[in-house]
Parts: sequence; structure tokens; C-alpha cells
Amino acid sequence: MPSLRLDGRRIEIHDGDTIAAAAFRAGVRTFSRSLKAHRRRGLYCGTGDCANCLVTVDGLPGERACVTAAADAMRVERETGWPSADRDVLAINDRLHRLMPVGFYYKVFARPRWLWPIAERVIRRATGTGTLPLRATAERTPTRFVRVRTLVVGGGVAGLAAAATAAADGSVLLADEGSLGATVTLPAARAAIARLTTEARAAGAEILERHAAIGIYEGPSAALLGANELVEVEAEHVVVATGALEAHGVFPGNDLPGVWLGRGAARMAAIHGVSLGDHVVVVANTDDGDDLAGAVRGTDADVTLVAGRVLEARGARQITSATVLTPDGRRAFACDALVLSLGWAPRDTLLRMTAEPEVVGAGDVVRPGCSLAEAEASGRAAARGDAAEARDADTWPIAEDDGYVCVCEDVSMHDLEQAWDEGWTSSEILKRYTTATMGPCQGALCSRHLADHARAKGATPAARGRTTARPPVRGPRLGELTGGVHEQVERRTALHDRHVAAGARIDHSGVWLRPGTYGDVDVEIRAVRERVSVMDVSSLGKFLVTGRDARALLDRVFPLDVGTLAPGRARYLLALDEAGYVMDDGLLAASGDGSFFLTSTSGGADRMEAWLRNWIDRLNLHVHVINQTAQLGAINVAGPHARDLLATLTDDDLSRGALPYPGHADITVAGVPCRAIAVGFVGELSFELHHPRGRSVELWDALVAAGAAWDLRPHGLDALDVLRLEKGHVYLTQDTMPDDHPAKLGLGWAIAKDKDEFVGKRALERMNALPLERRLVGLRFDGAPERGHPLTVEDAIIGRITSCAISRAAGGAVGLGWLRAIDGVFPNVLRAGDVVATVSPTPFYDPDGVRLRA
Amino acid sequence: MPEVRDRLVGIIVCAADPAALDRLVAPGHGARTLRVAPDETMAVVSPEFTEDLRRELGDRVAALDPDALVVDVSDGWAAVALVGDDADHAASYLSALEPPAGEGFAQGDVARVAAKILREREGLLVLVPAYWHEHLRSRATEAARAAEARG
Amino acid sequence: MLVTCPTCGRRPFTEFSFGGELRDVASPDTRSDFARVYLHDNAAGPQQERWFHLLGCRRWVTLTRHTATNRVGG
Repeated sequence: MPSLRLDGRRIEIHDGDTIAAAAFRAGVRTFSRSLKAHRRRGLYCGTGDCANCLVTVDGLPGERACVTAAADAMRVERETGWPSADRDVLAINDRLHRLMPVGFYYKVFARPRWLWPIAERVIRRATGTGTLPLRATAERTPTRFVRVRTLVVGGGVAGLAAAATAAADGSVLLADEGSLGATVTLPAARAAIARLTTEARAAGAEILERHAAIGIYEGPSAALLGANELVEVEAEHVVVATGALEAHGVFPGNDLPGVWLGRGAARMAAIHGVSLGDHVVVVANTDDGDDLAGAVRGTDADVTLVAGRVLEARGARQITSATVLTPDGRRAFACDALVLSLGWAPRDTLLRMTAEPEVVGAGDVVRPGCSLAEAEASGRAAARGDAAEARDADTWPIAEDDGYVCVCEDVSMHDLEQAWDEGWTSSEILKRYTTATMGPCQGALCSRHLADHARAKGATPAARGRTTARPPVRGPRLGELTGGVHEQVERRTALHDRHVAAGARIDHSGVWLRPGTYGDVDVEIRAVRERVSVMDVSSLGKFLVTGRDARALLDRVFPLDVGTLAPGRARYLLALDEAGYVMDDGLLAASGDGSFFLTSTSGGADRMEAWLRNWIDRLNLHVHVINQTAQLGAINVAGPHARDLLATLTDDDLSRGALPYPGHADITVAGVPCRAIAVGFVGELSFELHHPRGRSVELWDALVAAGAAWDLRPHGLDALDVLRLEKGHVYLTQDTMPDDHPAKLGLGWAIAKDKDEFVGKRALERMNALPLERRLVGLRFDGAPERGHPLTVEDAIIGRITSCAISRAAGGAVGLGWLRAIDGVFPNVLRAGDVVATVSPTPFYDPDGVRLRA
Repeated sequence: MPEVRDRLVGIIVCAADPAALDRLVAPGHGARTLRVAPDETMAVVSPEFTEDLRRELGDRVAALDPDALVVDVSDGWAAVALVGDDADHAASYLSALEPPAGEGFAQGDVARVAAKILREREGLLVLVPAYWHEHLRSRATEAARAAEARG
Repeated sequence: MLVTCPTCGRRPFTEFSFGGELRDVASPDTRSDFARVYLHDNAAGPQQERWFHLLGCRRWVTLTRHTATNRVGG
């Protein structure tokens, strides 16, 4: 006989058993302990809606025992109670509940302050549910995308009818969280489901069993969670047919093991053949009473069926009696099971997540308690677009003065009253203060009770609504949440493998993978300053801009003087946004044929393309832009011997006559056609070689081989940071903030004077008329500075170090930093902790730029 | 399980007036033309025909729009093919895009990057900017495996 | 939320980059320029906006979105 182990105890499994059925049949009555008071909790809803039966199955916590199929050799553990759910030391909390009123932990452990971290740890251990399998290997759930015309959630009578009807108009996907019909007890319902399933399938509807919809999003779109997959569905129409469960009864003793909601009790009795007890009382105010009583009688129990208001239930470990106010008066019953059908609570969480008219409900969820025929009709109508407005049930149980409203979070009626008296007077704030509806069931049982309470207290219409429904309906695993989401989308240059082979530490530089260093940053810096080096700058944004309005576009968009940019020349390009702030920088080069070549920072390429295309569109200009960022590789050959190195690989003229600074020329290096751009970022003679990406490796290898004669070492981002800092060059986003206009950065020289119009011009006029209150300055330090460290004048923080390094070439510790003016004057001497910082002109190295103009 | 294969392709971009591109007659060499934007057409061809195609398109487009730009951008793109009967199913793990029918193409989010999908006889061809080649290949392999596991 | 791109069809907004409320391309003077750049109508209702199809055709579209319902029209 197949069996599972529950907390080590062997339990027999019968055919078709859920974990809960097998355990209950074997006599297990306590499935968990409540959050605060550690009260015993047993099976209640039986339909997967409440959180009483959450167990850990084969190491995975948070499984609902009542809807999880039992399997041979399964290891099941109850998650609350210590040392066990049956004998829980913390049950003492129940006796002390007067000392733990609602919200007490906010008040009691707040002072002294040192107490809270300790209290928090203790509270966590006492109230935690389940243990995360931290040693399990992380598995990402496969995700796939589906597009359909109609998505139907729920495979009951209404859902199947909707699917069958909608299939005539286009593709249909029906998802049900279990197996179709598996939980239906009534023969008439079973027959209807079988008939409608055949009809739906024949009409071409696709049926996905064991897939739960955990959220509906704008689109409409939905996320379906299966056993090992996440399905993202884009639909034109969604029909939600998730049914209803019985209303949660609130009365003293309502959380005792032995109190059941009707449908769950019927399943246990009729489908699993498990006896609920010897003396069962069924209190039914809905039409379901006879069916429920009939199902339970099938297990040879003595069943009493009444209608009325449940006043209280009593018992210690489980229920022993119930008192009901029937039409004939108050009656007390000795019983070992109490089955409730006091009203209907539509499972409308998904429906309430969206206001889109394309998402409609059908069946019990909009017409709770409707007949099979009504459910079918409502499904067909919903599929045709004649959806019914949601209506709440006619019968709703009156809550007594006490009893647990939120069973998941142990919030009683008394707690709600007290919270209201304390001033938390709306359903939303009541939720947040008491944590009602914030447990695993997410208000499936109690969200209406919360709204009712607010209404009964006289709250305004705005303050007494149902609390907002948001995805997910039920807590998914982290692996499921991350299904289809990948942390990084990485861009690689063609030289990636070369860098790896050379032992480089590869960094994430924005979305690019780039070498930080090949081992020794100092060695790399010296190679650049004293001999020759190469750097892979293929990630730079690169654009070909042509067309009869190309010059007009560039002149109108950028603040530099494009009119005087002659062919063969290049110019430093500052890109400003409409507020006059520096967005990006790069180079603009003019070719002889009226076309232009533009570079941007690596991180700014997409934005630059969008920027250019925006202005082409808005100004209606005839311009063509080709984003060549991927198409072209770029290698910067830098150092006093850069020209000597290139001379061994090319016959082309590299003198300043042929290739001015700043300027560009088309040359061939090692047989590879290149656009060589004379640049100055690192402050040495440099040739940035733009070439076809497919020939990057060939070019790199040739340069490295020929460079051996000068002991060439490639340099990476770390070295670059220091080299450009020695020249006082700004590193966008490291030294800059999003609201820097050029004057703050000392880049006013890059703005052309006397230009009529360019993007940001008016903003600059406005800001330049104002006194400058913040500047980026060069700094020299008398000790070792720290990047990000505040700069102070007499203990007042007036700035921050944005970049710094100990520099051989600059003769000491240098950096860049922000300063605020004090009474209109910028201080010259500041402190960064123990280090004295003096404002210093930049560049720190080769201030006249002799070396890069060589 | 669908196979994931790298493919070499030649790609020519024609940037011109929309009216000119509307009138552009499809070139030979088995090239597929993709009207990726009102003012841009991409022609995809087997690599050995790239140069011929560039010259042909250059002539044809210039005749329709003298201000047009025709450039060989093959280096800028990487192509990965999903080969097999279940290529579409594997693609559903990569993208919410509807795979194109016939000679058409789809462009949008594939594995979170900007891509174009073409249908071929043997399956689907996905084009992405070259710096995402490795990314696409690894996601496509993962997708093929997931599709296979589901059956 | 779906955005309609004239070239590529209706696509999830995640394929796009948002360009803000539609505004004029220039202003005659500094004062009106400040209003143009910084003072937005921010209507609770239909709003004309600029969207860039970053993952698709990489072109801009001007459309109308209802800021309260997030429905995109023309």
C-alpha cells in the first residue's frame, strides 16, 4: 500500500487521495498552529483557499495539503509549532492573548531601541511558516508565451461553456488549477462538465490543466503557473470563471479543528470517502444544504441539517459543540464536525485586479449560488461579450462579536474593534494596521468581512471598499517569479575571447562586458604614458549620418558649430537635453561627401539614436541614420610610440598634415580598412581605429604582435579611469549628475558662441544668467583620498569627491569633485576626513596638451 | 528538439524616402527584403552575394532617390537559426512575437533584445545586433531545451 | 499596456522607450521656453505622447494615451 510520511509518521494513501485526505483519514486533526496565539488549526475550506493546511512537501514549503495529490514516499512536514504541531510550547501565547492586543509588537518592542532587533528575530522564529530550502539549487522556471483570442480561467461548468462558445470566434485557451471535474461531487455537475469538455475540445479549445492563473495584467494578459512552467498569455478577451467558496463564518470558536466550509467537507466525504466525524451538524442558509448533508451522510455519519446563525463553537483540541440561532430559537448541538454553508464568497480576486472591459466573469464568481443551467448560460454569454455585472451573494453571514476574522494572521473581531477605536478607520488602513487579509490566503476568506466591518462602523464610501486586489493571487516560488526574467542582457565586443585569454578581469560596464584590467593597472598606465598600448573601445556608440539635411540636423540639435567643421576634421561633441543638461558626449567627424560620423559613450548609444531620430521626425528633415555600434569595432592605439607602431602596419600618411588633431582619415592597418580618429581622452598621442567588426581580432592581433617591439601592454577600464583623470577629463555619470549644464562642468568651451538655435540654447541662456552655485573642480590631496568621500569646510559638507587616484604622472593624489559656493564664493581648501584637498587647475598632466597633439 | 545553429548572412540597408522604398523592386540572389521602417529596408542574403546585392540595390535605390544611402551592414548583425518542425514551439520560449508566415518578418522583443524573425523552410531565423550573438545563442539553446522537456 | 506602432502593430509597452508629453520643438523666448520644458499639462485624461520603438523599428510615434485608464488610442 502506498504511503507518505507526515512528520515521520507513516500514513496510508488510498487511490486519488490528497495529502489532507490521507492524513485526516489517519486521524490527523491539527495541521498547523496559528500565527500569534499558536492555536490549533485543522482543515477548514478544503478547496485550497485558506492557509490552514500549508505543509512542506519533499522540502518545499507552502504546499496546500487539501489540493495536493498524495504520492508514495512523499515526505510531508507540518510547518508551525515547536517542537511539533501537536505539542506546541508556544500554545501558551493563547492564554496570554490579552497581553498581545492588535499591533502590540509595534508598541511594546519599539523602546528601548536596542530591543527591536532581538525582538524581531524572536518574533520571526515564533511566527514563521516553513523553512526555505536554502541549500537547494536555484532552478529557473521555463517560461513561454502564448497569444490567444480568449483566455478562460477556471474549468467548471461556466468556464467550459465559455470556452466552447468562444472557440467559434477564434483561438481559446482554458486553464484550470487542477484536473477538470476532479473536485466535483454532484453527479449532475459531473455530467455537465463531461459534456461541456467534449464540446469545448471538439470546438478547438486548448485546455491546460494544473495551471493556476496567478495574476491578470494590463493587455489584458495573464500569468499561468504550472508544475514546472510559467505561461504568459496575451489575450484579447479573458473570462474569469473561478467560482465561489462558502462565506467564512465569524463566531467564537470558528477556528477550531472540526469546523468546515461546505464544499471542502463534501469533497472529503464524497470524493475521498473520509468520515468527518460521528455527529455532524450542517448549518446551511444557501440552497446547498441538502446536497451537503447527503454527501456527509454517505460516510455513515449522523447528520443534522439546520439553517440559521452560528453563535459559537466550543471545544479544546477540536470542536465538541456548536450553538445555532435557528428560526426555532437557540439550539446547542454536541458534534465533532460543523459544516458551514452560510453564504457565498465569490473567488473574485483575479476579476478585481483589472478594470479593463475585456475581462469579464462568468458563473459563481459573478452569480454566486447559481444553478448549473444558469452557470452554463452565463459562461456562454460572457464568451459572446454579453457579460453580467458582478453581484454579491444575497446571503452573507452576520459576524458575531468575537471570533477570528483573518484566520491566516490571527486577527479577531475584537482586534478589529480595538484598532477602529484607536483611530484606524478605513478598510485599507485597518488592513495595514492589523495585517488582516495580508496572509497566505490574501483575503480569500476575510476581505469582505473587513469591508463589512468598516461599513458597519459608518465609514464613508471611500473608506469601506474591498481592499485592492493585486497579483499574485497566491505566493509563487522565487524561481517561478524569475521565470523568463534574466538578470543581465550582456553585450560583447568581438575581442571578448582575446581579453579572457589574456587573463583580463571582465567587468560589467553598464550592459557591456569589458576588461577592467589585465592584471596590473600600474603597468598598463605606464605602457600608455611611456610606450604604446591598445584598448578595445568597440562598445562606443557610432553613427553614420547622411542625407541632404544632415548638416542642418546636427547643427540644430547639438551646441557645437557644425558649419565650420571641415572634411577630415573632428570636434568634441556635447549632447544637451532640452533643459540644457549634459546628456552625453562624443565626437563629430565630417567626411568629404557631406556625410558625418558621430560617436557617443558606450552607455549612451541607444539614447543617441533615439535622440537623433526624434529630431529628424519632429523637424521633418531628410536625414539617414545608421547605428553602426555593432557593425564597427574600435581599437584605440595610444602612447608616444603610437605612430611608430602604426607605421609598421600601414603605408598611409599619419602625420599631422594628413591626420590633424582633432580629425580623422581613412587608412589601412594590417590590411584592415580603418577610419582613424585622432582623439585625446587619455592625454597621449592616440589613434582610435574604427574598423569592420568581423576583422577586429585580426587587427588586434597584428597590433599586439607589432607592438611587442615597444613592450606593448593593452589597457582596460581601470587604467583608463586614471589616465583620463590625469587630464581632468570628465567621466559622464561618475563625475556628473543628470542636472549639470556645461558651465558647472567647466565645459562651456564646447558650446559654440553666436549660434541661433540649438537644443537647450534658451535653457543655457537662462541658467548662465544665474550665479553658479555648484562646480566640478580639480583637486590635489595631501594624502590618500576616497572616491565618494564628502568635502567639508569647517565640518560643513559642501561637496564630494567623484573621482580620485594616486597618480605618478600628476605627481601625487589628484581627483575631481563637486563644490558648492559658500556665500557666492567657491572655497579653495577643503577637507576630506583627515586629508586636505586643494582646488587645482586641470589638466594635472601635460596641461598644454603637447603630447596628444604630437 | 529543434537545433540551434549559427548562420552567416549578408545584410544591406537601404535608407531612403518612403515613396522610393515603396517602389523598390525586389532584387535577385534569393534576397529577402524587410521593410523595417517607412524609411528603411533591410535586404538579407547569403554572404556570397552581398557585394553584388549592394551594387544592385545601390543602383536601383539611387535611381528612385538620389539622396538615399545603401550600406553593407553585415558585420553589425548576427543570425541564429532554430531548425526543425518544432521551431515555432521553441520560439514561444523566447518571445511573445507571432512568428511570421511566408515571406514576412516580425520585429520586436526576442530574449529581451531587439530582433527580427524570418521564417525559412527549415525553421526560423533570428537576427540581432552582433554584440548580442552570444546572448541570443545561449537563450535559444535554453529555449530549445525547455521546449523539448515539455514535449 | 499595449502601444500601437504604425510599422510593427500593437506591442507591449516594454518594447518602447517613453518620450514624455508632446511639446513644441522650440520657444521664441526664455520665459516661454521654461514653460515648454518644465510645465506639463499632466492631464488626467487623453494625452498626446511620444514613444520610441526601441526593440522594434526604432522610430518614434506620437499617440494619445488616456492617463487614467492607460488605454492607447490613435
